[in-house]
This record gives sequence, structure tokens and C-alpha cells, in this order.
Amino acid sequence: MSTNEIIFEDVSKFYGEVLGVNKVTLHIPPGITSLVGPNGSGKTTLMNLMTGLILPDRGSISVLGLSPRDPEHLMRITGYATQFDSAPRWATGLEFVSTGLTLYGYSAAEVRERAWRALELVGLTDAADRKVAAYSKGMRQRARLAQAIAHDPQVLVLDEPLNGLDPLVRADTIALFRHYAAQGRHVLLSSHVLQEVDLISDQVILIANGMIVAEGEIRDVRDEISDRPSQFILRCRDASRIASLLFNEDHVTEIRMNDDHLGLLVMTRNREEFSRALTRIAVAGYVIDGVIPADENVDALYEYLIGGGRA
Amino acid sequence: MTQARIRQAWAIARVELRRAFFSRRGLWVYLLALLPCVMFLGHGIEIRIREKHWMQNGLTPAQVVDSMAQGETVDAVLRRAPNPVNDRNWQERREDPDDRQDKDRDKDKGKDKTPAPKPDEMRALTYFDGHRIAYLHFTNGVLDRKHVNLSRNLEDDRRAFAGIFQVFYLRLAIFFGCLGIFMNLFRGEMLDKTLHFWFLAPVRREVLLAGKYLAGIVAAAVIFGGGALLAYGAMLWPHSGVDAQMFLQTAGWSHAFWYTTAAVLGCLGYGSVFLAAGLLLRNPIIPAAVILVWESINGFLPAVLQQMSVLYYLQSLCPETAPIDENSALARLLFAPAASASKGLAILGLLAVTALVLWAASRAVRRIEINYGAE
Repeated sequence: MSTNEIIFEDVSKFYGEVLGVNKVTLHIPPGITSLVGPNGSGKTTLMNLMTGLILPDRGSISVLGLSPRDPEHLMRITGYATQFDSAPRWATGLEFVSTGLTLYGYSAAEVRERAWRALELVGLTDAADRKVAAYSKGMRQRARLAQAIAHDPQVLVLDEPLNGLDPLVRADTIALFRHYAAQGRHVLLSSHVLQEVDLISDQVILIANGMIVAEGEIRDVRDEISDRPSQFILRCRDASRIASLLFNEDHVTEIRMNDDHLGLLVMTRNREEFSRALTRIAVAGYVIDGVIPADENVDALYEYLIGGGRA
Repeated sequence: MTQARIRQAWAIARVELRRAFFSRRGLWVYLLALLPCVMFLGHGIEIRIREKHWMQNGLTPAQVVDSMAQGETVDAVLRRAPNPVNDRNWQERREDPDDRQDKDRDKDKGKDKTPAPKPDEMRALTYFDGHRIAYLHFTNGVLDRKHVNLSRNLEDDRRAFAGIFQVFYLRLAIFFGCLGIFMNLFRGEMLDKTLHFWFLAPVRREVLLAGKYLAGIVAAAVIFGGGALLAYGAMLWPHSGVDAQMFLQTAGWSHAFWYTTAAVLGCLGYGSVFLAAGLLLRNPIIPAAVILVWESINGFLPAVLQQMSVLYYLQSLCPETAPIDENSALARLLFAPAASASKGLAILGLLAVTALVLWAASRAVRRIEINYGAE
């Protein structure tokens, strides 16, 4: 069993008669992985399963080679910021983070140092001595994040970590996730904000009705969706002429012209042929300022694979 | 590794102590623990106020109180003891059964010519000699009944304490107190949606259970062991220094020790039961009712089954038998003591039952899942 991956092997979980997740098989490599799916699709269930908060009815789970049934070892390398507040009413931010750290066997000085460093990373040092109960929603979110990262885990699991954060803190938090991922660690998060998922994710897992719809790097997932033409935005000076040239290509299914006549939205069934066609057009002397894939993002994948209302 | 786990359990216990002692849901536990103390304090205060009132009316020498005999007239008594602490007069009409029959016969014939009997003149005098209270009852001026009691009777109070301790404190106060404290340790955190904090720590579930149980035990032992000692002190408080000292030097300290031990061991036993129940069941009422019935009918169970009850061992530790009204079938059913075991055996038995229940709880805690939506 790989010791550098999070592995779900044919995992099913039912809550009584209600399906949680069904026959999930996943191999999650290091980096930032986003779980995307509508409410009740099974995102939190997957996170709870891999951290041992709930147990699978079928299948097995391994987190870097450790079983979720072994919290003593698993939670030394894993930090999980759940959606629920777990701070006692009496605890200040510093006490909340420190309390968890005392169970790792650190000395009192190290507990304080680590707690303070974690609060620093999430920008909560000013409020460290205030009670968590008096924190705003965003501050409580950051306190949970601080508690999850305080022991410097290899695997960071975050349920809706960007909820309630103001834009500045959001950017800092995303930078923190990137920093973790750059060190070869796992950051697994769920988010409703698809644009952000798009920006920060190395890979996505799309889940609906307890089943994995797609997984992998966003572009690979997009490539696998063969029944939907790929969309590209072209910025060019002679849009009408380029559009007529592209219409001669068999793989192009639709072209829409921008109102300013300086851009096109092209839909093609074959990305490689499209690329070659663009090269030919450019060689023929037409100026193409830029080509941007319009549907290589989580938003489009979500629309194609899951459809309906957003997560 | 073992030392690290012990440190973890202690760290958990330290955090949980705050919840166990100061949980808003559990403040009523203090009322239960302190109720016997309040009762005995109230009793002591009442005795002191009553004696003060009697003394204001004047003391009657003990020899005079002893000399009063049946057949004496009220005037003779008042001549020797002119300062009763209480003097009450009333009339009482008593009918002879023969007179009653005559009256009924006359009534049937439509005439009622039997004159009403003359009422008896009743009088009650109460005297206080500083230690004893004497109740004298006169009918038509003649002393016909005399009762002399100690105003502060340590024997009576000890029996009352034994009764309250075994019937109320062990069976109800500690039982429901432990229900409040120990069910709250896991179930309370489920309701507060905070249990995942512990489940996400690098701690074996069994260590978590041990830490929480330790916190519960410390809290329950302080609250109920302390409550028992306070009640015992309150029971002794109104008695004269000499009586209390004599009792303490003979059996008093030993009794205090065993009552406190029984209270603490009760917390140990019931605590384990309710901790396990909190892991297995959502609704505390069901296990509480089942265990209460089981413990209540314990005295009627076969010997083997009696040993599966916490109360069986606790009663064996109590230094005095609770006074039970033998004429009341309900009292006998509910409060009859089980066959007693020796104290050593009782402690070992209770520890064995506790260990067995905790073992079952440690199996259950491994299977617990966080599912706040279902709470």
C-alpha cells in the first residue's frame, strides 16, 4: 500500500438507509485536492471517513499507509478543520489551540510556541487571549484552521475552509495551502466557491449522490468529457475572417463573435486539430493575440458532470 | 508508550474536570449532594432554636422531672415545677360504646333523651431540664401519661443518617448525580457537537475514555464524598461536645470513613455504568429507569444476580443498617438490603463490576461515530 497517497478502496458508507458514499475508490496524491459536489453529495462523509470520525461499512481507507482506526498515529500526521466549532466556552484562542497540542506530548514551552506560531499563520495573534466564543464566524474558522495546522501535519483536511473569511484573509489562507502543498504535503479541501477551487487546486474530485463522478487534474478531467465540445476564447484583430477560416474545419462545431469584433468563442471537438488549425491561420499572417480555454475550470466541469444547482 | 498514554489521559481529565464540575447541565447534582447536609443542618438549627426557647421559659431540675409520677394531680406537679416550657389545655369528648348503643336505639325510636357526656378536661405540660424534654399528659387534672426524651438524641440521628444515606443518598442522589455527570461526558459532547475535538487528537479511544472517566470520578467523588462528610458533620453538629467526642472516639470516625468510602465507590460503580450507557444509548431516561429498577429489586434477586448490582456492594459497606418500616410492603420491596458481603469482598466485587463495565465501554467507544445530525 502506498505510503504517499490517501487511498480509498471500494469504500461505502450508509447512515441507516441513507447513502453516504458508495463504492468509492480514490488515490489522492500530494498537493491541493478539492472535493466538489452539491450539498449532501458526500464530501464531508469522505473527510470524516479518512479521519476516523466515522467508519466505513465496506472497503478500506489508508492515509499515507495509516488506518483511520488508529487515531493515535494517524492524527499525528493529520489535521482536520471541520465545519463544527469544538472550542469549549471557556477557552481563549490560545488555550483552544494549546489544549489540543498537550496531547501530542510536547513540552509546555513547545506547546505555547507551536500554538502561537499557528495563530500567527492564520492572523489571530491579536485575538489570542480572547474567548473563542466571542470570535466572529471568520475568526472561529481561522481558530479551527490554526488548531488543525498547529502540529505541522502531513495531511491537512479542511471542510469549507474559506467560508466566512474576508478577501484579504482568504488570500493569505490560500497562500498557506499552497505553501503546504509545495512542501509535498496533502491538502484536501471542500469548497462551494468554484472559482477559488479552480485557482488553488492541483486536482479535483467531483462527487454527486455519494459517487465519484470524476477525479484528477482539471485538464485531464476535461479531456475525458468527450460529449461536450471544448471551448476557447480567441482574441484577434480580424475576427470575421478568422471565424470563416475556422468554419471550414470539421471539428469546429460553433463559433460566436464578440460584440467588439475582436474576439471569438470557438467550440471544437478536437483540441489538437484546433491547435493545428490556429497554427495554420497564424502562419497565414493573421494576428492572434491570445487563446484561452473557456471551460477548463471546475465551474464548467461541475456544469458538465453534475449539472443543476451549484454546490 | 504507556507513560505517554497516562499523560494523555491526565491531560484529558484536566480539561474535562471543568466540564464535570461546572457544566450548566449538571448544577442540579450539587443540590442532590448537599440535600442531606441541608436537612441535618436544618434539624440542628431547629433543635437549637427550640432549646433556646425552652431555656427562656426556665429550666426544671432533672430530679423534679424524674419525681413526677402517674396519678399526681396537675396542681401538685405545678407546685413543684411551676415553669413548664409549654402548657396546653383542651376538652375532649369521649363516648362509652354502651352509651353509643343506647343513643342509637333512642334515635331509632324517634327520641333522643340520653344527655351528652361531659367532656374531659385535658392538659399537657412540657418541661425541659437542659438535656431532656418531658411531656406530661393530664386527664381531668390527673397525670396519666409521661414521656421523657433526650432533646438531642445522637442514636436517633445516627439511625436517621443511616436511613437517609442508604435510601436517599446511595439509591437516588449518587445514582442520579452520576447519571448527570457521566452521561454528560460523551453524550453531552455529542449534543454540543464538540466530541470530534477529542476524536481528532492523537489519542486512543480507550485513553480518551479513561481520561473522561477519571475526570468524572474526581468530580463525583469530591461532590458526593464531600457531601456525605458534610452531612455527617451536620448530623453531629447539634450534639454536645462530650457526646460527639465519645462517639467519634468509639465508632464515629470509622463510620465517617465507611460512609465516605461507600459514596466514592458508589460514584465509581454508577459512574462506569452511566459512562457505558452514554456510549451505547442516546436517551438517558431508558438506562436510568432500567438500572434503577434493577438496583431496587436487588434485595429479592438470587445471590448470583445480586452480585451484578452496585447497591449490593455499597450496602455492605455501610456501617449501620437503615431503619426500614417492616409493616410497609413497598418499603420492604424498595429498600430491603441485599445479602451483605464482607467489606473487603464488597470493595473487590465493586471494583470487579466496575472493571467489567469499563471494559465493555472501551469496546463501545471504539465503534462510536461522529454523527451530530442524528442527535
